[in-house]
Amino acid sequence: MRDATPVLTYHDVRKLFGNFVALDGVSMEVSRREVICLIGPSGSGKSTLLRCTNGLELLHGGEIRLDGIPLPRDPRGMRAVRQRMGMVFQSFELFPHRTALANVMSGPVTVLGLSRRDAEARAMALLHKVGLADKAASYPANLSGGQQQRVAIARALAMEPEVMLFDEPTSALDPETIGEVLNVMKQLAEEGMTMIVVTHEMTFARRVAHRVVVFERGQIIEQGPPAQIFDAPLVDRTRSFLNHLGWAA
Amino acid sequence: MKLDWSVVTAHAGDLAQGTALTVLMAVLTMALAVPGGIILALLRLSGSRVLSGLSASFTDLFRNLPLILVIYAAYYILPLALDLQFSPFTTGLIALALNVSAYNSETFRAGIASIRRGQGEAALALGMSRWQAMREVILPQATRRVLPVLASTWVSLFKDTSLVSVISVGELAYTAMRIRSQTFRVLEMLTAMAAIYWALGYPQAKLVDWLNRKYGITE
Repeated sequence: MRDATPVLTYHDVRKLFGNFVALDGVSMEVSRREVICLIGPSGSGKSTLLRCTNGLELLHGGEIRLDGIPLPRDPRGMRAVRQRMGMVFQSFELFPHRTALANVMSGPVTVLGLSRRDAEARAMALLHKVGLADKAASYPANLSGGQQQRVAIARALAMEPEVMLFDEPTSALDPETIGEVLNVMKQLAEEGMTMIVVTHEMTFARRVAHRVVVFERGQIIEQGPPAQIFDAPLVDRTRSFLNHLGWAA
Repeated sequence: MKLDWSVVTAHAGDLAQGTALTVLMAVLTMALAVPGGIILALLRLSGSRVLSGLSASFTDLFRNLPLILVIYAAYYILPLALDLQFSPFTTGLIALALNVSAYNSETFRAGIASIRRGQGEAALALGMSRWQAMREVILPQATRRVLPVLASTWVSLFKDTSLVSVISVGELAYTAMRIRSQTFRVLEMLTAMAAIYWALGYPQAKLVDWLNRKYGITE
Protein backbone atom coordinates (compact mmCIF):
# COMPACT_ATOMS: atom_id res chain seq x y z
CA MET A 1 0.00 0.00 0.00
CA ARG A 2 3.00 2.28 0.36
CA ASP A 3 4.05 4.26 -2.64
CA ALA A 4 7.71 4.18 -3.56
CA THR A 5 8.07 7.77 -4.80
CA PRO A 6 9.45 9.94 -2.02
CA VAL A 7 7.24 12.84 -1.06
CA LEU A 8 9.94 14.38 1.14
CA THR A 9 13.66 14.09 0.60
CA TYR A 10 16.20 15.39 3.10
CA HIS A 11 19.71 15.78 1.84
CA ASP A 12 22.60 16.61 4.19
CA VAL A 13 20.38 18.95 6.24
CA ARG A 14 22.29 21.19 8.66
CA LYS A 15 20.94 23.56 11.25
CA LEU A 16 22.75 25.61 13.89
CA PHE A 17 21.48 27.50 16.91
CA GLY A 18 24.41 29.75 17.66
CA ASN A 19 27.28 27.33 18.22
CA PHE A 20 24.98 24.41 18.88
CA VAL A 21 24.72 21.98 15.98
CA ALA A 22 21.08 20.90 15.99
CA LEU A 23 21.16 18.99 12.70
CA ASP A 24 24.46 17.66 11.47
CA GLY A 25 23.97 16.34 7.96
CA VAL A 26 20.65 14.52 8.04
CA SER A 27 19.58 12.63 4.94
CA MET A 28 16.44 10.54 4.57
CA GLU A 29 13.43 9.96 2.40
CA VAL A 30 9.76 9.77 3.23
CA SER A 31 7.45 7.89 0.90
CA ARG A 32 3.84 8.67 0.30
CA ARG A 33 1.53 6.92 2.80
CA GLU A 34 4.47 6.12 5.01
CA VAL A 35 4.38 6.57 8.78
CA ILE A 36 7.77 7.48 10.23
CA CYS A 37 8.54 7.88 13.91
CA LEU A 38 11.53 9.94 14.92
CA ILE A 39 12.92 8.90 18.28
CA GLY A 40 15.99 9.78 20.30
CA PRO A 41 17.09 11.77 23.33
CA SER A 42 15.94 15.37 23.93
CA GLY A 43 17.94 17.86 21.94
CA SER A 44 18.95 15.30 19.34
CA GLY A 45 17.36 17.26 16.50
CA LYS A 46 14.07 15.43 15.87
CA SER A 47 11.82 18.42 16.47
CA THR A 48 14.20 20.73 14.64
CA LEU A 49 13.94 18.51 11.56
CA LEU A 50 10.14 18.78 11.66
CA ARG A 51 10.28 22.54 12.08
CA CYS A 52 12.68 22.82 9.14
CA THR A 53 10.32 20.70 7.06
CA ASN A 54 7.58 23.32 7.08
CA GLY A 55 9.89 26.30 7.19
CA LEU A 56 9.45 27.37 10.80
CA GLU A 57 13.25 27.12 10.93
CA LEU A 58 15.58 27.90 8.05
CA LEU A 59 18.37 25.53 7.05
CA HIS A 60 22.05 26.38 7.24
CA GLY A 61 23.01 23.71 4.75
CA GLY A 62 21.68 20.89 2.61
CA GLU A 63 18.16 20.85 1.25
CA ILE A 64 14.69 19.49 1.73
CA ARG A 65 12.62 18.61 -1.32
CA LEU A 66 8.86 18.25 -1.45
CA ASP A 67 7.81 16.18 -4.47
CA GLY A 68 11.29 16.72 -5.87
CA ILE A 69 11.16 20.50 -5.61
CA PRO A 70 13.42 22.23 -3.06
CA LEU A 71 11.51 24.14 -0.38
CA PRO A 72 11.17 27.75 -1.46
CA ARG A 73 12.58 30.50 0.75
CA ASP A 74 10.25 33.33 -0.24
CA PRO A 75 7.24 33.87 2.04
CA ARG A 76 4.67 33.23 -0.68
CA GLY A 77 6.27 29.97 -1.77
CA MET A 78 6.67 28.89 1.83
CA ARG A 79 2.98 29.54 2.52
CA ALA A 80 2.02 27.35 -0.43
CA VAL A 81 4.20 24.56 0.95
CA ARG A 82 2.81 24.88 4.47
CA GLN A 83 -0.71 24.49 3.13
CA ARG A 84 0.30 21.01 1.98
CA MET A 85 1.62 20.00 5.41
CA GLY A 86 -0.31 19.88 8.66
CA MET A 87 1.57 20.48 11.89
CA VAL A 88 0.58 19.40 15.39
CA PHE A 89 2.47 20.94 18.28
CA GLN A 90 3.43 19.58 21.67
CA SER A 91 1.57 22.42 23.41
CA PHE A 92 -1.49 22.19 21.08
CA GLU A 93 -1.45 25.93 20.29
CA LEU A 94 -5.18 26.13 19.79
CA PHE A 95 -6.33 29.72 19.43
CA PRO A 96 -7.79 30.43 22.89
CA HIS A 97 -10.10 33.20 21.66
CA ARG A 98 -11.93 30.85 19.31
CA THR A 99 -14.23 27.88 19.86
CA ALA A 100 -13.13 24.41 18.83
CA LEU A 101 -15.20 24.75 15.67
CA ALA A 102 -13.77 28.18 14.84
CA ASN A 103 -10.26 26.86 15.43
CA VAL A 104 -10.80 24.12 12.87
CA MET A 105 -12.36 26.64 10.46
CA SER A 106 -9.39 29.03 10.75
CA GLY A 107 -7.31 27.59 7.93
CA PRO A 108 -10.10 27.03 5.42
CA VAL A 109 -11.62 30.49 5.98
CA THR A 110 -8.47 32.61 6.21
CA VAL A 111 -6.06 30.73 3.99
CA LEU A 112 -8.26 28.90 1.48
CA GLY A 113 -10.98 31.54 1.35
CA LEU A 114 -13.79 29.03 1.81
CA SER A 115 -17.23 30.40 2.64
CA ARG A 116 -18.16 30.17 6.32
CA ARG A 117 -20.81 27.59 5.45
CA ASP A 118 -18.45 25.30 3.58
CA ALA A 119 -15.73 25.73 6.16
CA GLU A 120 -18.15 24.93 8.94
CA ALA A 121 -19.33 21.77 7.21
CA ARG A 122 -15.74 20.65 6.74
CA ALA A 123 -14.84 21.52 10.33
CA MET A 124 -17.85 19.70 11.78
CA ALA A 125 -17.00 16.58 9.78
CA LEU A 126 -13.45 16.66 11.16
CA LEU A 127 -14.57 17.23 14.74
CA HIS A 128 -16.82 14.25 14.26
CA LYS A 129 -13.89 12.24 13.01
CA VAL A 130 -11.81 13.04 16.10
CA GLY A 131 -14.83 12.33 18.32
CA LEU A 132 -15.47 15.89 19.46
CA ALA A 133 -18.56 16.99 17.53
CA ASP A 134 -20.27 17.68 20.86
CA LYS A 135 -17.46 20.07 21.86
CA ALA A 136 -17.74 22.28 18.76
CA ALA A 137 -18.90 25.29 20.78
CA SER A 138 -16.39 24.86 23.60
CA TYR A 139 -13.42 27.10 24.05
CA PRO A 140 -9.99 25.48 24.41
CA ALA A 141 -9.80 26.48 28.10
CA ASN A 142 -12.78 24.20 28.75
CA LEU A 143 -11.31 21.16 27.03
CA SER A 144 -8.93 18.58 28.47
CA GLY A 145 -5.43 18.33 27.04
CA GLY A 146 -6.33 15.28 25.02
CA GLN A 147 -9.41 16.99 23.62
CA GLN A 148 -7.41 20.09 22.74
CA GLN A 149 -4.86 18.03 20.89
CA ARG A 150 -7.57 16.22 18.96
CA VAL A 151 -9.05 19.59 17.95
CA ALA A 152 -5.55 20.66 16.91
CA ILE A 153 -5.28 17.57 14.71
CA ALA A 154 -8.66 18.39 13.17
CA ARG A 155 -7.50 21.97 12.59
CA ALA A 156 -4.44 20.74 10.72
CA LEU A 157 -6.50 18.23 8.71
CA ALA A 158 -8.92 20.96 7.67
CA MET A 159 -6.30 22.18 5.20
CA GLU A 160 -6.43 18.71 3.58
CA PRO A 161 -2.67 18.29 3.84
CA GLU A 162 -0.63 15.67 2.03
CA VAL A 163 1.73 15.21 4.97
CA MET A 164 1.12 15.48 8.70
CA LEU A 165 3.94 16.50 11.03
CA PHE A 166 3.50 15.65 14.72
CA ASP A 167 5.91 17.29 17.14
CA GLU A 168 5.72 15.28 20.37
CA PRO A 169 1.92 15.40 20.28
CA THR A 170 1.41 13.56 23.56
CA SER A 171 4.32 14.86 25.65
CA ALA A 172 2.26 17.53 27.37
CA LEU A 173 -0.69 15.26 28.13
CA ASP A 174 -1.88 13.54 31.26
CA PRO A 175 -1.33 9.80 30.92
CA GLU A 176 -5.07 9.09 30.82
CA THR A 177 -5.62 11.27 27.75
CA ILE A 178 -2.63 10.09 25.71
CA GLY A 179 -4.52 7.10 24.36
CA GLU A 180 -7.34 9.09 22.76
CA VAL A 181 -4.82 11.18 20.81
CA LEU A 182 -2.79 8.17 19.73
CA ASN A 183 -5.96 6.43 18.57
CA VAL A 184 -6.81 9.35 16.29
CA MET A 185 -3.27 9.25 14.91
CA LYS A 186 -3.45 5.51 14.41
CA GLN A 187 -6.70 5.90 12.51
CA LEU A 188 -5.07 8.54 10.27
CA ALA A 189 -2.17 6.21 9.61
CA GLU A 190 -4.58 3.43 8.64
CA GLU A 191 -6.28 5.77 6.20
CA GLY A 192 -2.96 6.18 4.43
CA MET A 193 -1.87 9.61 5.61
CA THR A 194 1.83 10.32 5.24
CA MET A 195 3.02 11.05 8.76
CA ILE A 196 6.25 12.07 10.45
CA VAL A 197 5.88 11.72 14.20
CA VAL A 198 8.41 12.88 16.78
CA THR A 199 7.53 10.83 19.82
CA HIS A 200 8.60 9.19 23.04
CA GLU A 201 5.65 6.80 22.83
CA MET A 202 7.54 3.64 21.94
CA THR A 203 4.43 1.45 21.96
CA PHE A 204 2.90 3.69 19.32
CA ALA A 205 6.10 3.74 17.28
CA ARG A 206 6.30 -0.02 17.42
CA ARG A 207 2.67 -0.67 16.47
CA VAL A 208 2.00 2.07 13.96
CA ALA A 209 5.25 3.18 12.32
CA HIS A 210 6.46 1.65 9.09
CA ARG A 211 9.92 2.93 9.85
CA VAL A 212 11.62 4.24 12.98
CA VAL A 213 14.47 6.72 12.72
CA VAL A 214 16.80 7.13 15.69
CA PHE A 215 18.45 10.51 16.25
CA GLU A 216 21.41 11.42 18.35
CA ARG A 217 23.34 14.69 18.42
CA GLY A 218 21.82 15.97 15.21
CA GLN A 219 22.47 12.80 13.24
CA ILE A 220 20.53 9.71 12.27
CA ILE A 221 22.29 6.83 13.96
CA GLU A 222 19.97 4.09 12.82
CA GLN A 223 16.75 3.57 10.93
CA GLY A 224 14.65 0.61 10.01
CA PRO A 225 11.35 -1.18 10.60
CA PRO A 226 10.15 -1.24 14.21
CA ALA A 227 11.05 -4.91 14.57
CA GLN A 228 14.68 -4.09 13.87
CA ILE A 229 14.88 -1.02 16.06
CA PHE A 230 13.08 -2.49 19.04
CA ASP A 231 14.11 -6.14 18.90
CA ALA A 232 17.49 -6.20 17.23
CA PRO A 233 19.03 -2.77 16.95
CA LEU A 234 22.22 -2.66 14.95
CA VAL A 235 23.67 0.24 16.88
CA ASP A 236 24.62 0.08 20.56
CA ARG A 237 23.46 3.62 21.20
CA THR A 238 19.95 2.71 20.02
CA ARG A 239 19.92 -0.16 22.46
CA SER A 240 21.11 1.95 25.38
CA PHE A 241 18.62 4.72 24.54
CA LEU A 242 15.77 2.21 24.53
CA ASN A 243 17.08 0.58 27.71
CA HIS A 244 17.10 3.99 29.28
CA LEU A 245 13.37 4.31 28.49
CA GLY A 246 12.75 0.89 29.98
CA TRP A 247 12.65 -0.92 26.65
CA ALA A 248 14.93 -3.87 27.02
CA ALA A 249 15.72 -5.10 23.52
CA MET B 1 -18.72 81.97 53.50
CA LYS B 2 -22.04 81.34 51.92
CA LEU B 3 -22.36 78.95 48.99
CA ASP B 4 -24.93 79.62 46.31
CA TRP B 5 -25.59 76.46 44.29
CA SER B 6 -28.18 78.14 42.11
CA VAL B 7 -25.35 79.18 39.83
CA VAL B 8 -24.93 75.55 38.85
CA THR B 9 -28.57 74.98 38.01
CA ALA B 10 -28.78 78.29 36.22
CA HIS B 11 -26.01 77.20 33.89
CA ALA B 12 -27.03 73.56 33.65
CA GLY B 13 -27.56 73.82 29.89
CA ASP B 14 -24.05 75.16 29.29
CA LEU B 15 -22.52 72.54 31.55
CA ALA B 16 -24.43 69.78 29.76
CA GLN B 17 -23.15 71.04 26.44
CA GLY B 18 -19.59 71.18 27.77
CA THR B 19 -19.95 67.67 29.14
CA ALA B 20 -21.17 66.42 25.78
CA LEU B 21 -18.13 67.93 24.10
CA THR B 22 -15.82 66.34 26.67
CA VAL B 23 -17.33 62.93 26.02
CA LEU B 24 -17.14 63.45 22.26
CA MET B 25 -13.52 64.55 22.50
CA ALA B 26 -12.52 61.50 24.55
CA VAL B 27 -14.40 59.09 22.28
CA LEU B 28 -12.94 60.52 19.08
CA THR B 29 -9.44 60.59 20.56
CA MET B 30 -9.63 56.92 21.49
CA ALA B 31 -11.20 56.09 18.12
CA LEU B 32 -8.06 57.52 16.51
CA ALA B 33 -5.52 56.43 19.11
CA VAL B 34 -6.41 52.72 19.24
CA PRO B 35 -5.75 52.13 15.53
CA GLY B 36 -2.92 54.65 15.80
CA GLY B 37 -1.34 52.68 18.64
CA ILE B 38 -1.77 49.38 16.79
CA ILE B 39 -0.18 50.78 13.63
CA LEU B 40 2.74 52.23 15.61
CA ALA B 41 3.24 48.93 17.45
CA LEU B 42 3.16 46.96 14.19
CA LEU B 43 5.69 49.34 12.63
CA ARG B 44 7.84 48.97 15.71
CA LEU B 45 7.74 45.17 15.39
CA SER B 46 7.92 45.15 11.58
CA GLY B 47 11.55 44.08 11.44
CA SER B 48 12.35 47.06 9.22
CA ARG B 49 14.93 49.26 10.88
CA VAL B 50 13.61 52.44 9.32
CA LEU B 51 9.95 51.86 10.18
CA SER B 52 10.78 50.60 13.64
CA GLY B 53 13.01 53.63 14.28
CA LEU B 54 10.36 56.05 13.07
CA SER B 55 7.75 54.49 15.31
CA ALA B 56 10.10 54.48 18.32
CA SER B 57 10.98 58.16 17.77
CA PHE B 58 7.33 59.11 17.54
CA THR B 59 6.51 57.26 20.72
CA ASP B 60 9.50 58.61 22.63
CA LEU B 61 8.72 62.16 21.54
CA PHE B 62 5.07 62.25 22.47
CA ARG B 63 5.31 60.19 25.63
CA ASN B 64 7.92 62.51 27.07
CA LEU B 65 6.40 65.88 26.30
CA PRO B 66 3.89 67.41 28.69
CA LEU B 67 0.48 67.07 27.08
CA ILE B 68 -0.28 70.75 27.61
CA LEU B 69 2.80 71.63 25.57
CA VAL B 70 1.68 69.37 22.73
CA ILE B 71 -1.69 71.10 22.78
CA TYR B 72 -0.09 74.54 22.59
CA ALA B 73 2.31 73.36 19.91
CA ALA B 74 -0.55 71.98 17.83
CA TYR B 75 -2.40 75.25 18.26
CA TYR B 76 0.47 77.51 17.21
CA ILE B 77 2.60 75.34 14.92
CA LEU B 78 0.07 73.27 12.93
CA PRO B 79 -1.46 76.29 11.12
CA LEU B 80 2.00 77.60 10.24
CA ALA B 81 3.41 74.24 9.20
CA LEU B 82 0.43 73.07 7.15
CA ASP B 83 -0.95 76.44 6.20
CA LEU B 84 -4.35 75.18 7.34
CA GLN B 85 -6.63 76.66 9.96
CA PHE B 86 -8.15 74.01 12.18
CA SER B 87 -10.89 74.66 14.68
CA PRO B 88 -9.75 74.57 18.32
CA PHE B 89 -11.70 71.31 18.69
CA THR B 90 -9.83 69.63 15.82
CA THR B 91 -6.50 70.99 17.06
CA GLY B 92 -7.15 69.60 20.54
CA LEU B 93 -8.23 66.29 19.07
CA ILE B 94 -5.02 66.00 17.05
CA ALA B 95 -2.86 66.80 20.09
CA LEU B 96 -4.66 64.27 22.30
CA ALA B 97 -4.62 61.61 19.60
CA LEU B 98 -0.86 62.00 19.12
CA ASN B 99 -0.24 61.67 22.84
CA VAL B 100 -2.57 58.73 23.45
CA SER B 101 -1.40 56.92 20.28
CA ALA B 102 2.12 57.00 21.69
CA TYR B 103 0.93 55.42 24.94
CA ASN B 104 -1.26 52.87 23.16
CA SER B 105 1.68 51.94 20.95
CA GLU B 106 3.65 50.76 23.98
CA THR B 107 0.57 49.04 25.38
CA PHE B 108 -0.04 47.05 22.21
CA ARG B 109 3.64 46.30 21.77
CA ALA B 110 3.74 44.74 25.23
CA GLY B 111 0.48 42.89 24.54
CA ILE B 112 1.71 41.46 21.25
CA ALA B 113 5.02 40.45 22.83
CA SER B 114 3.16 38.64 25.62
CA ILE B 115 1.48 36.20 23.23
CA ARG B 116 3.63 33.09 23.19
CA ARG B 117 5.54 32.30 20.03
CA GLY B 118 3.77 29.04 19.36
CA GLN B 119 0.53 30.87 18.60
CA GLY B 120 2.09 32.70 15.68
CA GLU B 121 3.80 29.51 14.56
CA ALA B 122 0.52 27.60 14.63
CA ALA B 123 -1.02 30.28 12.42
CA LEU B 124 1.92 30.21 10.02
CA ALA B 125 1.85 26.41 9.96
CA LEU B 126 -1.74 26.61 8.66
CA GLY B 127 -0.41 28.63 5.74
CA MET B 128 -1.35 32.08 6.99
CA SER B 129 0.80 35.07 6.04
CA ARG B 130 2.50 37.02 8.81
CA TRP B 131 -0.16 39.69 8.50
CA GLN B 132 -3.01 37.16 8.67
CA ALA B 133 -1.42 35.57 11.73
CA MET B 134 -1.21 38.99 13.35
CA ARG B 135 -4.78 39.94 12.46
CA GLU B 136 -6.50 36.62 13.14
CA VAL B 137 -4.53 35.17 16.01
CA ILE B 138 -2.16 37.55 17.78
CA LEU B 139 -3.92 40.92 17.82
CA PRO B 140 -7.28 39.61 19.07
CA GLN B 141 -5.54 37.94 22.01
CA ALA B 142 -3.20 40.86 22.63
CA THR B 143 -6.10 43.31 22.64
CA ARG B 144 -7.99 41.33 25.24
CA ARG B 145 -4.87 41.05 27.32
CA VAL B 146 -4.23 44.83 27.33
CA LEU B 147 -7.85 45.79 28.00
CA PRO B 148 -7.11 46.80 31.61
CA VAL B 149 -4.28 49.07 30.45
CA LEU B 150 -6.40 50.60 27.69
CA ALA B 151 -9.09 51.14 30.30
CA SER B 152 -6.84 53.12 32.60
CA THR B 153 -5.55 55.08 29.60
CA TRP B 154 -9.17 55.84 28.78
CA VAL B 155 -9.93 57.06 32.28
CA SER B 156 -6.81 59.30 32.22
CA LEU B 157 -7.73 60.59 28.80
CA PHE B 158 -11.24 61.42 29.91
CA LYS B 159 -9.81 63.76 32.55
CA ASP B 160 -6.95 65.01 30.37
CA THR B 161 -9.40 66.33 27.81
CA SER B 162 -9.77 69.22 30.28
CA LEU B 163 -6.34 70.43 29.13
CA VAL B 164 -7.66 71.45 25.74
CA SER B 165 -9.53 74.21 27.55
CA VAL B 166 -6.27 76.20 27.25
CA ILE B 167 -6.93 76.64 23.54
CA SER B 168 -10.56 77.55 24.28
CA VAL B 169 -12.31 74.37 23.24
CA GLY B 170 -15.70 74.72 24.89
CA GLU B 171 -15.65 71.39 26.73
CA LEU B 172 -16.59 70.87 30.35
CA ALA B 173 -13.54 72.45 32.01
CA TYR B 174 -13.55 75.48 29.75
CA THR B 175 -17.26 76.00 30.23
CA ALA B 176 -17.06 75.69 34.01
CA MET B 177 -14.11 78.10 34.16
CA ARG B 178 -15.95 80.58 31.99
CA ILE B 179 -19.00 80.51 34.21
CA ARG B 180 -16.73 80.83 37.25
CA SER B 181 -15.09 84.00 35.94
CA GLN B 182 -18.44 85.47 34.93
CA THR B 183 -20.18 84.77 38.25
CA PHE B 184 -17.25 84.62 40.70
CA ARG B 185 -18.83 81.48 42.21
CA VAL B 186 -15.46 79.69 42.33
CA LEU B 187 -16.10 76.90 44.83
CA GLU B 188 -19.51 76.05 43.45
CA MET B 189 -18.28 75.76 39.87
CA LEU B 190 -15.16 73.79 40.76
CA THR B 191 -17.23 71.42 42.86
CA ALA B 192 -19.79 70.99 40.11
CA MET B 193 -17.03 70.31 37.62
CA ALA B 194 -15.38 67.77 39.92
CA ALA B 195 -18.73 66.07 40.53
CA ILE B 196 -19.46 65.77 36.82
CA TYR B 197 -16.01 64.38 35.94
CA TRP B 198 -16.18 61.91 38.79
CA ALA B 199 -19.76 60.86 38.13
CA LEU B 200 -18.88 60.15 34.50
CA GLY B 201 -15.47 58.62 35.10
CA TYR B 202 -16.39 56.20 37.87
CA PRO B 203 -19.02 54.19 35.96
CA GLN B 204 -16.68 54.05 32.97
CA ALA B 205 -13.97 52.50 35.09
CA LYS B 206 -16.50 50.01 36.46
CA LEU B 207 -17.84 49.26 32.98
CA VAL B 208 -14.36 48.48 31.75
CA ASP B 209 -13.73 46.21 34.72
CA TRP B 210 -16.88 44.36 33.82
CA LEU B 211 -15.96 44.11 30.13
CA ASN B 212 -12.62 42.79 31.18
CA ARG B 213 -14.16 40.09 33.32
CA LYS B 214 -16.57 39.15 30.59
CA TYR B 215 -14.24 39.10 27.59
CA GLY B 216 -10.89 38.37 29.16
CA ILE B 217 -9.47 35.13 27.78
CA THR B 218 -8.53 32.25 29.97
CA GLU B 219 -5.90 29.77 28.91
